[in-house]
Amino acid sequence: MTLLSIQGLRKQFGGLLAVDDVSFGVHEGTIKALIGPNGAGKSTLFNLITGFERPDSGAALLNGVATTGMSARDVVRCGMARTFQDTRLFDNLTVIENVMVGTQVHYTPGFFAAALRLPSARKEERMIQEQAIRLLRQVGLEEWAGTPASELPVGIRRLTEIARAMATEPTLLLLDEPAAGLNSSETEDLGEALSRMRDLGTTVLVVEHDMALVMEVSDEIVVIDRGRKIAEGPPRLIQKDPVVVAAYLGEEYGNA
Amino acid sequence: MADMGGKPRLPWVSWLIAAAVACIPLVITDRFLIKVLTFVGLNVLVAIGLALLFGYTGQVSMGHAAFVGIGAYTCAFLTVRIGTPWIVGFAAAGVIAAAGGLLLALPSLRLKGHYLAMATLGFGEIMSLIFVEAESVTGGVDGFARIPPPSVAGFEFKEPATLYWLVWAVAGVALLLAYNITRFRPGRAMLSLHGGEIGAVASGVDVVGTKIKAFVISAALAGLSGALYSGVVGFVSPSVFVLSSSVMYLAMAVIGGAGSLAGPVAATALFTLLEYLNALIPSMPAPIAENLGLYQTDIYGIAIILVVIFAPRGLTGLWQRRRSASSAKGGSLAERRQGSSTQADTPARPEGLEEGEGT
Amino acid sequence: MSELLQFLIAGVKNGAIYALVALGFTVVFASTGAINFAQGEFFMLGGVLGVFFLRLGLPLPAAVLAAVLATAIIGGAFEALAIRPLSAGDPLKIIIVTIGGSVALRQFALHIFGPNEMIIAPFSSGPPIRFAGAAVERQTLWIWGLTLVTVACLAIVYQKTMLGKAMQATSLSHDGARLMGIDTKKMVTVAFVLSAALGAVAGLAVTPLTQTAFDVGAGIGVKGFTAAILGGLGNPLATVCGGIVLGLLESLAAGYFDPLYKDAVALVVLLGVLFVRPSGLAGLMRRGRG
Repeated sequence: MTLLSIQGLRKQFGGLLAVDDVSFGVHEGTIKALIGPNGAGKSTLFNLITGFERPDSGAALLNGVATTGMSARDVVRCGMARTFQDTRLFDNLTVIENVMVGTQVHYTPGFFAAALRLPSARKEERMIQEQAIRLLRQVGLEEWAGTPASELPVGIRRLTEIARAMATEPTLLLLDEPAAGLNSSETEDLGEALSRMRDLGTTVLVVEHDMALVMEVSDEIVVIDRGRKIAEGPPRLIQKDPVVVAAYLGEEYGNA
Repeated sequence: MADMGGKPRLPWVSWLIAAAVACIPLVITDRFLIKVLTFVGLNVLVAIGLALLFGYTGQVSMGHAAFVGIGAYTCAFLTVRIGTPWIVGFAAAGVIAAAGGLLLALPSLRLKGHYLAMATLGFGEIMSLIFVEAESVTGGVDGFARIPPPSVAGFEFKEPATLYWLVWAVAGVALLLAYNITRFRPGRAMLSLHGGEIGAVASGVDVVGTKIKAFVISAALAGLSGALYSGVVGFVSPSVFVLSSSVMYLAMAVIGGAGSLAGPVAATALFTLLEYLNALIPSMPAPIAENLGLYQTDIYGIAIILVVIFAPRGLTGLWQRRRSASSAKGGSLAERRQGSSTQADTPARPEGLEEGEGT
Repeated sequence: MSELLQFLIAGVKNGAIYALVALGFTVVFASTGAINFAQGEFFMLGGVLGVFFLRLGLPLPAAVLAAVLATAIIGGAFEALAIRPLSAGDPLKIIIVTIGGSVALRQFALHIFGPNEMIIAPFSSGPPIRFAGAAVERQTLWIWGLTLVTVACLAIVYQKTMLGKAMQATSLSHDGARLMGIDTKKMVTVAFVLSAALGAVAGLAVTPLTQTAFDVGAGIGVKGFTAAILGGLGNPLATVCGGIVLGLLESLAAGYFDPLYKDAVALVVLLGVLFVRPSGLAGLMRRGRG
């Protein structure tokens, strides 16, 4: 079943057509990779899907509900969470607090309850914390729980951001170059974490440059170049697709 | 902050400090000194709000003196001209300042970047004009005179000591409520904004709503401080609610340090006392006292710059660095932090109100 | 009719000053993404240092030049000492530091030059020039002339020199500029030097008419920022227009209603633009074209 359906998305910046009539779908319970050369429009596409930018035309539907046109916050509440190419952690908070910010999205605001320490606030706080701890255990970050985010190595930063996104309990997780800056063993861990998440029922759409990782974990790949979709299919076929090889793999993966 | 959900209670040391603050008028009899310490309490009330707004939420206000002014004139006008009980004027001061804050926050917080700082500066300047020009309400340049002392249920807070207790009681309650806010969900939401708005949006934080609430709360606290001020001094002059006062309030929040209530409160006490150092130390030679007065403002300006460059977490950060340096024996960083957060409410935290390094 | 003309002249005179200060805001905003709250102090320093150099016995042209240069150096030094040590790309910190800087600069001026008002004689003496029933002070002509020359110089630097192109690239994208080999840190310094010089020219030109003192910075800072935001905080031409429009609005309001409203006009415009159309006049023009 198609969880996310991208329908004819288009976005122009000044004279530059960043995303040009892109359509594809992401099936529930799969990992889909979105690849393409630098400047192909991948990050813009992510921004359009997650409400950080408005498309000129077209739509992204999550379970049939249009997320394009929603505020980025409502998109999260709808069940779609994302990470960033340049991780956007809260450096003034610890790892567990970062995750707790994600967890608390499904609770109602409570300045008043908090100020008076009402039982509702205390109970809510306990639940938020328990959920966060459970999540940290899942991604293997427990030992980092009390560390300020500003002191984390890159790999842990990426994992923490993924954990924070997972904390919002998304049905679809969008990861923007999660392997950038990771060494090979960290990348391996990441690959395992992604597979585990899929097996636990989270659908993943990932932008990634590390082709070994993409080929290993993804069930399907969609390739865009200069804002247009040029190919879509299972990794085996994409690897051999002459159009893709010419546009992209030829330069990077081919040499590797 | 593993203690965050568990037992976010104040350590006993903060109660000890509170008791000490409460006992001061019993020990000190100098009326002027008591008055100075009352002013500390008035400023602390404003600083708590600015700590929430700047230190937690990352929003700059250059107009908080205007909210103090709104509170002062509201309370004075209602009690003197309309004849309401003082407590009504006091409450109205908070409400009207909060309403003013809401009016300013609603449009300007939707803006990208840090236009809020300029909007608050413009608001502050407009209010200073209004304080001077709206003579029928404010008394104009001559000020609003003969404001009776606060009275609640027939009891008049006339004596310096009783005024001191009143002001510090309000400040204490505000501090406790603010502390609770920071220890729960809203506090984390505010901190996440300071940490990075894009990340906050992506985590589903209600960015605009959280900012507006922080702004309104800080405006309300400033208004309450103003109401108390009018009763303590008995006279309100528009020359008090000007840009330089707003900058001073902001300086206290900056120097105190982000993500902390204890830091700004300590900075406020320090700077307010510095202003009246000759009252604290009567034997101080006059030239030193004069120079101190002359260079008081310089100290604010330069301290702001130095703190942002060298100690971005302000007094709180310096305090914690010292503490973590002394406890950094053995164990990895992660273990240490874990450790310090699990024993967070053992009596080892003298400041009590800080967000400890494990938080 | 001649009354209206008189108001218009006054408006364009003040507007030119606002335009120069506003350009200072725009230049720094372009390179840092932050508002420089010390901008008004550069205006103050221009006038106060001008008085200082004249009292040293320098002839007027030399004193003017020395004051502009000295202010530019102070601007650069402020950037090097207080802004550069900050991690790049944190506008919040830059704003706070410039707030501290404005307090410090104002206090230094107070300690060095005293609390009294100071004045410079008009750059050229003589009675006001009569024109269609209105009178134009000679100093007003100097203000217009200096503004025109300064804006023209700024335009030439931006359009024709490598430095200007590097600054434009930096304002579009810090990362992009760095990739092109531009020293973006240096560009921030240049921006502060330029904006300090712009402020100083404005402060010098207007001092013969208004006097100056250590505390004139905050007021002009608000006006200049209002003009800058009216112009959209980007396009220099729109910024100059913003200054002129603000000057005209003020002088008409003060002339036809009550002089009291002069200061209120800028503040109302400031809040109005921030609330209603943060992109300023430039946004309005863009929309008109689109």
